[in-house]
Amino acid sequence: MWVIVEEVRKSFAILFAYPVEVVFWIFSPLLWVIPLVFQGKALIGAFSSTPFGALAGTDEFIPYVLIGAIISTYMFSAVWSMGNSFRDETYYGTLEHILSAPVRPVYILVGKGVYNSVLSTLFVIVQLLICVFIFGLEITLAKIFPIFLFLLLLIVGLYGIGFMAAAVTLLIKESHGIIHLFEYVLFLFSPIRYPVEVNPITKTISVFIPLTYALIALRGLLLNIDFNFWKNSVILLGIDCAIIPLGLFIFYKIEKRTKTRGTLADY
Amino acid sequence: MREERQPSRLWRVKDRVFHYLRAINAENIKEWRIELKYKPDFIRQFFEPFVYLFPYFLYGFALLGGRYSEHLRSLTGISDMIAYTFIGYLFIGFLNTACWAMGFSLRKEQWFGTLETIFVAPVPRWVYVAGMALHSTCHQGLIMLIQAVVITTFFAIVLQTSGLFLSLVVVLLMLLGLYGLGIIVAGLTIALKQWWVVSEALATLIVVVTPIAYPLAVLPFVLRKVSMFLPTTYGIIGVRHFLLGEELVVGLPTIILRLSIILVVWLTFGMLVFLIMDRFGRKRGSLSIY
Repeated sequence: MWVIVEEVRKSFAILFAYPVEVVFWIFSPLLWVIPLVFQGKALIGAFSSTPFGALAGTDEFIPYVLIGAIISTYMFSAVWSMGNSFRDETYYGTLEHILSAPVRPVYILVGKGVYNSVLSTLFVIVQLLICVFIFGLEITLAKIFPIFLFLLLLIVGLYGIGFMAAAVTLLIKESHGIIHLFEYVLFLFSPIRYPVEVNPITKTISVFIPLTYALIALRGLLLNIDFNFWKNSVILLGIDCAIIPLGLFIFYKIEKRTKTRGTLADY
Repeated sequence: MREERQPSRLWRVKDRVFHYLRAINAENIKEWRIELKYKPDFIRQFFEPFVYLFPYFLYGFALLGGRYSEHLRSLTGISDMIAYTFIGYLFIGFLNTACWAMGFSLRKEQWFGTLETIFVAPVPRWVYVAGMALHSTCHQGLIMLIQAVVITTFFAIVLQTSGLFLSLVVVLLMLLGLYGLGIIVAGLTIALKQWWVVSEALATLIVVVTPIAYPLAVLPFVLRKVSMFLPTTYGIIGVRHFLLGEELVVGLPTIILRLSIILVVWLTFGMLVFLIMDRFGRKRGSLSIY
């Protein structure tokens, strides 16, 4: 526990050495929505679309993509930040030090996961507050608990993926491009920007991504779109139960392999 | 005496130019070698543009319930959402060249531990950035060529081949303007260190105000005015006019003139920022600070 707390403290100390990064992560997901708003205006000439409504359950595409952008913060955090966390240690020249410390590497990994979860949640809260006070998004207090429940279920599932991404970095080294690609694949097949029902391939693959169920539930709660609360909760819980042990197992195996082969310090 | 000096000076200038060109090419070759060392990452770069582009297509499909938009036609003269968006995103790929490859170059050398070594080499520092520009233009050009062939074939997009030469002229001017931006980012990296925030923030803002997937007409007044200072605006609308027949909101001579002015201003400003930041970094002793 102490190792995890120290890892979180260290990560925050590094983050605050680059304060401009904090500002960037708060505003960038909101900025990414703007081109979609203009694209919608150019294609439709209005801010609501009947074909979009038939697929998404709401005609208004701006709140739809706005929520998608905010929640995708977790995906970036889990895949990108977790994936690069050990690569960053290589660049800092500290990877060998932390992995040879008298603690199990998995605690360091969990520490990095906790740090990214806390940070992403802080960003999401600020972004939601911006949406409430500037864009007039309404969140009733009764919805706060279910929202946090789905966020928690989402975070756990995504960090299972994050653990795998961190392991891949130990193996491939210069893996930021592959992680970026993986992140975009998740982007493509999750209902972040558009309802996945628009294409049979995206619809099929989205079934395996935890973000799909979380977004359906969170949009349902925030935009009053009908959704099955229990079905989405149980599926997310099931994915979490499978993906966390799998992520940890893959990390353990790859970490052991790199140590055995002596490639840990390779650039 | 004067007659003897002139050929000697000319020879020295010529020698220096060749010296710089060799250094630029050496940087280009070095980058190819490093990239080819990481094969999965190298291959990935040829697939990524497709994954990046499809969400915009799917979003358009979801909004329209099909491929064609009457409203887009009334604004631009083009109703094919796929062709319109594709051309916009194809050429904005060069923004990545400027913001990421050029801006990233110095930070990457710092990570490799070779920044100080490069900075004491007997060439001006802009030569290093020019080498990166050459490499990333070749690399990005290759990626774009593959992307163009695949997407036009898959979606049966018909381009006006008669406008190809003029499109390339416009792209060249846009690219030179973007090099100015790349030099600015590279310079800011020396002082700000966390290069990617600068790159990402600038790229995001430029993507928002450039008419990539939408015409200038849908932008609010202020953003429309801002877009008039960007080479990407003229580059994209120019290329789309030549290849797809988009109706122009500004005349063609105006586009060429403004692009030429922008590239001179951006390149000059970029070099200025780079030199100031370089001097600032060395004076403060922050060059090797992480």
